Amino acid sequence: MSSSNKQYSLATLAVIGATLLIASCASNQPSCSSPQTRNLSAATKIVQSNLMSGCQAHFDSYYDDLLTIAEGDPKPENKREFSDFLVWSTDQGLLSKRQAEDYYNRYFNVKFMSMKGDYNNCSHTCPNKQKVLFNMQRELSDKERGLLRVSLDNDAYYRADKLFQEVELVLEATCMACSAGR
Amino acid sequence: MTNNPIGRPAALLALLAITTPPAVLANSPTIRLFPTTVIEDLRQTSNVARDMETGLQEVIGRLDQQQQLYQESKCDGADNDSGCQRLARQIGATYLDMLTVMEERLPDMEHTVNNTRLSLEKSLRSELGKKMTPWTLQETLLGTSASTSPANAAPILRGRSGMRLSERFNQYYQLVATSSSRGDQSLAVLAADIYLDMEETSLLIQRTRQEIARATLMEQLNQSFGIITPEMMEVVGGVKSILFGDDEGFASVAAPPPGSIEQAYRSPLEQ
Repeated sequence: MSSSNKQYSLATLAVIGATLLIASCASNQPSCSSPQTRNLSAATKIVQSNLMSGCQAHFDSYYDDLLTIAEGDPKPENKREFSDFLVWSTDQGLLSKRQAEDYYNRYFNVKFMSMKGDYNNCSHTCPNKQKVLFNMQRELSDKERGLLRVSLDNDAYYRADKLFQEVELVLEATCMACSAGR
Repeated sequence: MTNNPIGRPAALLALLAITTPPAVLANSPTIRLFPTTVIEDLRQTSNVARDMETGLQEVIGRLDQQQQLYQESKCDGADNDSGCQRLARQIGATYLDMLTVMEERLPDMEHTVNNTRLSLEKSLRSELGKKMTPWTLQETLLGTSASTSPANAAPILRGRSGMRLSERFNQYYQLVATSSSRGDQSLAVLAADIYLDMEETSLLIQRTRQEIARATLMEQLNQSFGIITPEMMEVVGGVKSILFGDDEGFASVAAPPPGSIEQAYRSPLEQ
């Protein structure tokens, strides 16, 4: 065999090897698709498996998928399912504790995460009152989904709704009093 | 007006002291939205409003009778009839009496309303505006014990409620005077509600005082012609609805929360 033929054969082998390598990599890449089952526990397991296989970037859409699946079978126990899932995500290092709290409380707690802040109301909340109320309104929609449509916790949702109205009233008066004192 | 208990606040407070459980008194609110000055201002406002109503009730009663007589005598459109002209002048004179009573009483009213408003303004700014973050405000409104059962929920008045002015202030006074038996959450809402109502009342009184001078001048001119203007009737109607409320509009008391927020499951993530 001439040296040119040898070189040709080696090049061909290299190309085939590279193709096989790429193909094998492609087959290992997770699909990151949404869970197809309508069972929340089974869907959670699929999501957990996907998240551990490199689909971390899809966390938001998975959370949304799980909420949609839970809406199909609403019950009080769903709250625990979501809490366990978020605690697991924290344990796996996918979420910080703070992020997990935000995900949980936004949907399943009466209190509003939009009302978080370390500064006093006169200096911080009042100048941004409209924005705060707008964010609360949006959060109330998420609470409607989490508390009402997923967990069937009507009392908690109506309390959140009332809390929103009370905050609106109290902020109106407080901010008026703050601005009068300037 | 006769069943108004504000004339005996000492007795009311004594009764409260007896009926309020000691455990409740021990757990007094941590925020001081209603210092004694605010309570006293509210009582004062209620008294002044009652005095104004008493003064006006007789005049307005007289106006109603005269108006009825005017209508029954088919005086509408009979401007040239001397009897009707005399009736119209009488109505105009009573209307002037009403304006005079209002002119005399409104400065007192304005003064006490403003005092209450300013005291509340100071409390709200200090206790809710400067001492609290949005999160602590939310926790205060929600209450720490999740014990917002209907039995404990305070009836919250929402602004002008179609009741007598003095009765409205009296209700405020009573709600505030019994505040030791309520949680901070209802106090914050109550303070905000009263403050906004006072702000609105204060503006209304200012505008009314400005209008009285103009209306008095106009009526003095009309007296010489014996004319009843539609504006006169409108003003009388307005005064009646503000002072005495309309019969159909009862106090809009907010419904208590639909239920307890206590749940069987509590997540470790819950804040």
